[in-house]
Amino acid sequence: MRYLISYKRLIWLLVFACFFWLMLRITIRYIPAQSDVSFLQIKQTEVTGVKGYLLVFYIHVYSAIFTLLAGFTQFNRHILAKYPKLHRSLGYLYTGTVLVLAAPSGMFIGWFANGGLTAKISFVLLGLLWFWFTLKSILLILKGDVKGHQRFMYRSFALATSAITLRLWKVILVYLFHPAPMDVYQIIAWLGWIPNLLIAEWIIKNKTTQ
Amino acid sequence: MKNILLCSLICLSLFACKDTKKKNNTEKNTAVAQAEIHQELYGSWVGDFLDVGSEEYEGDYDYIKKLNIIIKKITKDTVIAQSIVSGNNRPLFGKMSDDGSKITFVLDEPGTHKYDGRFEIELVGDTLKGKWNAYKSELKWPEKEYKLIKRQFVYNPNLMLPTEASYVDWNDHKFVEKLDTLEDGKVDTAAMDFYRSASDQIFKLNASAHLLKEQDLKNLRKLDLQILKNTIFARHGYAFKKDTYRQFFDPVEWYIPISSNVDDQLTSIENKNIKLIDRFTKYAEDNYDTFGR
Repeated sequence: MRYLISYKRLIWLLVFACFFWLMLRITIRYIPAQSDVSFLQIKQTEVTGVKGYLLVFYIHVYSAIFTLLAGFTQFNRHILAKYPKLHRSLGYLYTGTVLVLAAPSGMFIGWFANGGLTAKISFVLLGLLWFWFTLKSILLILKGDVKGHQRFMYRSFALATSAITLRLWKVILVYLFHPAPMDVYQIIAWLGWIPNLLIAEWIIKNKTTQ
Repeated sequence: MKNILLCSLICLSLFACKDTKKKNNTEKNTAVAQAEIHQELYGSWVGDFLDVGSEEYEGDYDYIKKLNIIIKKITKDTVIAQSIVSGNNRPLFGKMSDDGSKITFVLDEPGTHKYDGRFEIELVGDTLKGKWNAYKSELKWPEKEYKLIKRQFVYNPNLMLPTEASYVDWNDHKFVEKLDTLEDGKVDTAAMDFYRSASDQIFKLNASAHLLKEQDLKNLRKLDLQILKNTIFARHGYAFKKDTYRQFFDPVEWYIPISSNVDDQLTSIENKNIKLIDRFTKYAEDNYDTFGR
């Protein structure tokens, strides 16, 4: 058992599972699909005025949750070593979901984001980088470059978890400062993913197998 | 030609006869129901409703309540009126006496409500001055006094909350102490939040005069949204039942509480804006301080 998983990893996994559960609950709010539920309550201008917004929005909501699943298995060295096939098929699920569904839809709805140009730029950039890191990583492993693949998947997944960290930052900032909703939104648009990326770079530098 | 003229003359005279008959009838009816007197006093009389013995604003003083007494009918024997204060809309029934030099009223609330009592009023110049005594003397403030000026309620969609200092000051020093107790994230419970949280957008956005867009409301907190919405109701003279809103609107100069239900009075612009504001309020409640969106 000791070989399978360390306590430290187990705690991380449990924390991640909690946040995954929270994200799942947010997703479930959108089932069945309606045009004026939850976040869409304040997005009726886009829902009624932008062709395809509603469809793309729901593509993002329903697909993005699956990308977080990668956090449970894909960075576990034990699974990687013992069940490479599982790693591969789950990897393809992640990559396919990001490249075809979650990242392009994210960029589209990001362009219509609340919080003005600052927030829009952040979300579109986030989508672009997410797409690029994921694509790059998969191209590297197809060439057999394991280290390169690892590096870019850390980056890619760091951006995937921005869904969690963005909402976490919001709770913290609102608790501390009671800012107006769009003021906080402009901040978390950037705070949601840049620190994540920095942490990924730190992990790449210090923790990956040399 | 002559014939036609004659005919029409006869017709006219016939109609004239009918008219006089009608007049006689109505006069008879009012005579039976007693003659109405002092109709010049009919209407809304508005002013501050003050606790007797609490001139200094301290302790549990919270805000100056606004009283509206609506005089509806005065006859020799009875006065029918209505009192509206603190969201309580009560019928009044009583008497007027006029000894030639002084007009006074004694008006009673029904006595079925905790805060019912008796108004004793005197007309001094153009002002109604008087006292109110609760039937239940164990109330904290069983005696009140007031000076009321006659004012006509007129709906005006362009009225806005005053931005002037008096309004803000009034909130400021009273609820500063409550700041600390409310750091648990609850934003809408106490009046001091008006000062702390309401943005200046509430002085700029008018939900009665203009159709609001989502963009207008995006950066507003729940309290802003609630104030925007309730300013609509205040313009229609809604008598707020919630303390939170009375604290905002009772001190507003133009506000006259006149009705406990104004839903039928709302314009289509207002109804649309209320729907939009409600959506944003619900979203703020569900998401502003929680892990979600």
